[in-house]
Parts: sequence; structure tokens; C-alpha cells
Amino acid sequence: MAVAVLTCIAAAVGAPVVVTAPLGIALFAAPGYLLGLLLFDSRVAGLERVAVSTGIAFCLPIIGGLLLYLARVPLHRAAWLGLIAGVTVACDVLLFLRRRGGRTAPIIRPSVRRLRPWPAAAFGAAVVIAACGLGLARLGVAVQYTPGFTQLWLTHRAAGGATANLGVRNDEGSTTRYRLVLLRNGRRVGAWNLTLANGQTWHRSPLLPADNTIAADLYRLPDLNQPYRHVALDVNRAPSP
Amino acid sequence: MSRTAISAPADGTTVYITPVTQVRWRALHSRAPRHAAPAPSRLPIWGVALSAAVGVLVVAAAYTAGRLGHSSSAWADRAYWLGQSLILVPAATRLLSRRALTAGGTVAVLVLLTIAEYLIKICYSPVAFTYADELEHWRSAVDLLQSGRLFTVNYVLPISPRYPGLEEVTAALASITKLPIFTVGLVVVGVAHLLFVCVLYLLFCDISGSCRAAGVAMLCYAANSLFVSFDSMFLYQTLALPFFALTLLAAWRLPTRRTAGQRANWLTFGVITIAATVVTHHVTSFVLVMSLTGISLVALLTGHRRPAVWAGGLALLSAAAVAAWLVFAARQTVAYLQPYVAAILHTVRALLTGEHISALATSTGPLGNRILAVAAVLTISLLLPVGWWRIWRRYRRQPWAVAMAIGSTSWYVIVAIRLTVAYGSELAGRAATFVFVPAAFVLALAVIHLVGSTLRRKAGGAATIMLVAVLLLMFNGLANGWPPYWERLPGEHQVAGSEQSVGAEEIATATWTLALLGPGNRFATDFGSYPVLGAYGYQNPVRDVAYLFTSPVYSPLVRARSRVQALRYVWVDRRLSQSRPAFGQYFPADPEAGKYTHPLAAVGLDKFNRAPGVARIYDSGNIVIYDLAGS
Repeated sequence: MAVAVLTCIAAAVGAPVVVTAPLGIALFAAPGYLLGLLLFDSRVAGLERVAVSTGIAFCLPIIGGLLLYLARVPLHRAAWLGLIAGVTVACDVLLFLRRRGGRTAPIIRPSVRRLRPWPAAAFGAAVVIAACGLGLARLGVAVQYTPGFTQLWLTHRAAGGATANLGVRNDEGSTTRYRLVLLRNGRRVGAWNLTLANGQTWHRSPLLPADNTIAADLYRLPDLNQPYRHVALDVNRAPSP
Repeated sequence: MSRTAISAPADGTTVYITPVTQVRWRALHSRAPRHAAPAPSRLPIWGVALSAAVGVLVVAAAYTAGRLGHSSSAWADRAYWLGQSLILVPAATRLLSRRALTAGGTVAVLVLLTIAEYLIKICYSPVAFTYADELEHWRSAVDLLQSGRLFTVNYVLPISPRYPGLEEVTAALASITKLPIFTVGLVVVGVAHLLFVCVLYLLFCDISGSCRAAGVAMLCYAANSLFVSFDSMFLYQTLALPFFALTLLAAWRLPTRRTAGQRANWLTFGVITIAATVVTHHVTSFVLVMSLTGISLVALLTGHRRPAVWAGGLALLSAAAVAAWLVFAARQTVAYLQPYVAAILHTVRALLTGEHISALATSTGPLGNRILAVAAVLTISLLLPVGWWRIWRRYRRQPWAVAMAIGSTSWYVIVAIRLTVAYGSELAGRAATFVFVPAAFVLALAVIHLVGSTLRRKAGGAATIMLVAVLLLMFNGLANGWPPYWERLPGEHQVAGSEQSVGAEEIATATWTLALLGPGNRFATDFGSYPVLGAYGYQNPVRDVAYLFTSPVYSPLVRARSRVQALRYVWVDRRLSQSRPAFGQYFPADPEAGKYTHPLAAVGLDKFNRAPGVARIYDSGNIVIYDLAGS
């Protein structure tokens, strides 16, 4: 119940992920554990208890979500939180009442064997090594060479509109200088010198000519001979999206 | 209440329980390993754990080497196999050793093996989903999170929102933890995969009465080529599998409960897991109905009325739930599965009438892979009859074991399907997830028997042969499973491939289409970009579009056909004219699949630049998007 209340409070105050993640995972597992206790008392133990509890924890959002959907409740954060926290609190109350009535079977508590230092250290080392493996894999993605690219586009801005959407986005991996030339029926009607940082986007809304072709050539400076990117719209024939 | 110390016969663990529960505890731990030898294993669990962790690190290093441009180097490939050996060999050696094997130790080895292989799967794509089917389910999960509604539209996998179990669990956990969908997805499928392994182990343990047999059966199950890939991916089947196994567990427990209350509780649990299975995955729910029906019939034939009644009851409930779901929520399922069923029926008809059967090539990999595949098929095919014989000798009055024996014959069916049916390889691969459940059990009985019989004759060499045979099956699962050999190590972009066709440029372009063009536009694109466009771009890519890329000119005929298909945009990846397709096909539905001897002609890709009325609206260097609306 404490987990349910804490998770709801964390959600209400907009707590950061470092708080909501462990609380949320604990809350997600709680109904499985409690419903497992309600259904089976101590009649299942060990691995079977864990399996049954986990299975129920997974079943709850599936069946509960379906019921909420049928009740026309939008499945946003509040609904999920209400469903899982609600079931947790209800199960807690039921277990409390059952225990007060003395209707629970005695609980088998297998003693936990204490791990000796050397195996414990080995298991710890295994966790650290595996974590290093995951870190290395992520590092590999970060340092992997991927050729950079620049996006150039020219589309109709809106249905039936008189303006176009002309844009450039730099994903070359570093700051890049461009020259963008706008052409109407092959004649230059505008030009821009752009210096875009990696990830930066530039866009304009040029007027669409009544019955012409509009095109844009993007040059990557200092090369002004060969267009780096090219787009073109035939205004006569292309209907608005 | 006084407590008594009691030792579990399986592992010698001392526990303290009340006299009331002593009988129950003894009953619970009566699954003592019948093949256990007195001396404990020389290979401790922590040794297996350390070795597996080092294996994960070595494989991660091989993957990093691949990403740094060494994906085709021999030493990187060897490092990958070294890492896998560090995981598989100690685990298999411990489970197949002649020394004592405890229930806890067996579970620990299986959990370590499963986690290590799952970590390797994460290392392959550690920052985002890249496999096509994962992207499709990712799209459905994003839709549910954003709209708060079930049964939304998913253009690339329309059936996915009709089975929203995985998306519901992911959305619920992502909502309450605020973690990204990718992280939550990894947690959900990782736990589901481990849960499936543990429940299957429990079932095998109960049916065989031996934790060693259950452990070896799980090793054999892990040799299924999809165990480390498809069955642990962000897919609806991954979550449905543990529900399937938990329902079987309920069916196993129900007849053995003494009081009506206990039976009612297990029945409630069974009903919940049946509902979850049906809402989560179509094929798994069909297999559940068939499995429960089969168990019920076998129990009836072997004179076990109670198991027959309970399994039959659960089968009826499952069938009713499946039928109701098909009628009220997922009518599209029939159309979705129809091509596969039709292919099988066609082959069966052809076999019966003596027609010529033509199937696609089943294996086009390196010679080593093909030899491994043949050896694995032969090994399984030869070991299964030994397992049947063991079941006849020892378990013929046990309905579940007999049902497993009957179910394991489906192995020969999937081998036949692989060799004869048009979609044979894919069908057989997908079916392996289910076929290996009974087959692994029967294989384990055969392996245990052969190891045991050689022990009696003091012929340790044969025991080693069994270890080699099981390892052969496991390495075959890796070599001929997923990722395919040409993408085993991540690396450079692949033309019309799988994970390696998903790069920054494809994702940026797909995201651009959603932002600038809006969702749901009908697109023509290639095989590699298809899932990216559907998932990141939320577009509606059409499958049968090869003609649009291969024709040298944008002729009136091509234009007319594209209009019939209501195609609005064409996504042209100019790299299609630079390499042959990794998968053998350039397009989702490609009439020339497997026949390409050289890359596509550039003229076929560039023709849109000269086509009247076709607008060139996007250019990112490799990818160009054309708008056909004005043509």
C-alpha cells in the first residue's frame, strides 16, 4: 500500500525518473505478489511463487486495460496508475481482513542461505563484467562511423495554400556552410548563405508561383559547381496534399 | 507453533517449517534428481556466472569491432563464437555432468544462460529497436501511449493493435515509471522471456520427476534457432509464451489439488492466463487450444479421467475465448494467416496428388552453417525415437509425457514443411518455438538415458558425445538463427537488409515524412526501409511495388498501376543500384527474390526526375522522395 501511495504522490508532484522508475516497477510488481498471496496463500513456494506472481503482474494491465477501454476510460498515466494502485490497495485490504479472520495458511519461509564471501565476490564480478559488456556495446554505437547527411525539402505548406515549405537540416556531424538557391522556371529568384550547426534546421515559406516550376539547389560550400541536394515542385500539376 | 528443520532431498537445503506444512514441503521437494551422483559438480555456479559474464563482454567487443568497420574480419567473428562458447559450454557441461545436480543449481544455470543470451541480444541493438517486427510493435505501443486508445491503426502490421497485450503492459509500465518505451520494452520482454524459461522448467521438472531431465530439456529448448532472438524480442509472441506455459502449469496442477478451494484458485489463475494469452497473440492462443485438447485426449485414452476433464475444460474455455476474440476484436486474423495456411494446404494437396513441389532454397548460408544444420536435423531425428522408447518404458501411464511424445512428432512435420512449402523456412522457424516444447522434453529423456547407460558401463566417452551433441544443437541454433550470418556482427549499412538497413538517415527521413506529410500516406519503398517508414514515419507502405523501381521509364502503364494502388509517394534509396540485396529481395513482395545477379539499374531509380508531374520533394543524399500526385 505504501508503494501505491508513494507512486501516486510521485506522479502527482511530477517527480523525476530516478524516483518514479523504482517506485513504478515496485508498484507494477505489487498486484502480482498480493494477488498470488490471495489466490494461493503459501501453497506455492519458491520458483513457482515467483512465476505465478510475475504472470499475474503481467496479466493485470492486459485485462484491466481492456476493461478500462470498454468503460471508455482513456488509457493515459492516471488510468494505469489508478488501475494498478487501486488493485494493490484492494488486495492489501483483503489480505489484512483475511489475516484478521485467521483464515490464512501458515507461510513456508525457506531460510536464505548466506553466500560465502568468495562466491559472492565472483557473482559481483560477473555483474560488473556483464555491465561493462553493455557499456561497451553502447560505446560502440556512439563511436560507430555513420556518414553524415543533409536534408533538403520543398513541399506545399498547406492544402490549397500559396506558399511552399522550404527547409534544410544539417546532420553532417559538424557545423556546415551551405548556399541555397531558389529557382523559378530555371531562373534564380532567391539565394541564402547558411551556416548550420549539427542538428540545426533552417526553413522558409516562399510564395508558390501561379503556373511555374519551383526548384531549389543546395550547395555545400566551398563547392559551388555541383548541387549537393536538389528538390523541385511542378506547381501546375501537383495538387495540394 | 514449533518449527522443524527439514532438508530438501533435491538440493540439501535446510528449511524451517511448521509441522502442519511438513507433508506439503516433502511433497513439494519429492522431485529429487533420480540421476544425481553423490559428488557435487566441480564447476561451481559462480564459475558459470563468471564465464557467462566474460562471454557477454567478449561478444560485446566483437560487436564493437564490427561497428568500427571489422564486421567481415575473421578475428571479430571468432571473438563472437568464443564469447558464445564461454556462455554455452560451461552451462551445458554442468547440466550434463555425471555429478550431483541440485534443483536450485539447475535453475541458476538456466537463469544465467537465459540472461547472458538476452544481454547479447541487447548488445546487438543497445540504444533502439532495429528489427522490423520490433519496430512494428514499437509503433503500436507509441500509438497507445499517445492516444490512450486500444485498436489503433498500424499500417505495417495491422494485426498488431488487435492483440494489444504487449502494448498494454509496456504502456502501463512506461506511464507509471516515466521510462522510455525502449527501456520498458527491454524490461518487459526480458522478464517475460525468463518467466517462460522458468515455467517451462517447472513443467518439465514435474512431468519427468527429475530436475536434471528438466535442465537438459531446457538446454535442448534453447537450441531452437529463435530462442535467443525472436522469442526474446519486443514482439507479442514473447509475452504470450509465458501465459501459454502458465496455463499449462495450471492444467497440470488442477487435477492434483485436494480441496475444492485449491482447485478453484488454480482454475481462476488458469482463466486469467488464458485471457491474457488470447488478448496477446493469435498463434500462441491457437497452439494453447490444441495443446490442452491434445493433453485431454491423451489423458482420456490412458485412463486418467481427472486430468482429461481439467485439461479438456481449459481447452474449451480457451477455444471459446479465442473464438470470441476473433469475432469481436480481431476479424483480420484469418486474412493475416490465410497465405501461410494456404501454402501448407497447397503443399499437402500437391503431396497427395503427386504434383511437382517447388520450395524456395532452404539454406543459402556458408557451407559450415549448412553442415551444422544437417547435423542438427539428423541428431534430433535420431534422438527422438530414443526418447519415445524411454517414454514407453517409463512414462507410458503418464498422460503428459505421452502427449509430449506425440507432440514431438511435429518435428518431422516442420522438417518436411521447411523442405517443401513455399514459405517453408519462415513457417518452420516460427513453428520451432512451439514444436521444441515437446521435442526438447523427449530429446532430454534420450540424452539422459544415453548418458546414464554409458555411466553404467563406465564409458565416459559416450557421455562426452552427448555433451557435444547438445552443444551442436545449440551452436546450430545460433549459426542458423537470427541475426543471419551476413549481419551476425553489426556494421555498415546493408542494402535491403534487416537491422543494418536501419540507420540515422532512414530514421531522419521517416520522421520527416510524419512531420511534413502527415501520417498514413501510401508509399512505395524497398524492403530495408519498409519497417522504418511504417514505424518512425507512421506511413502506409505498400508491398507489391517492385515494378515501380525496375521499369526503365515511368510509362503510362506504370503510372496507371501506381494509381490503382493509390500510391502517393515513392521513397528511392539510391544505394539499391550499388549492391545486391542482403536478403535476396529488394522489395517486400519481390517477384525476382533470390534471382538478382547484379544491383538494380540506376536508370530505374532516376527515372522519376524526368517524369512529368512528379515532384522531387525531399533529398538527403542517399534517399530521395518523389510525390506522384501530379503525374
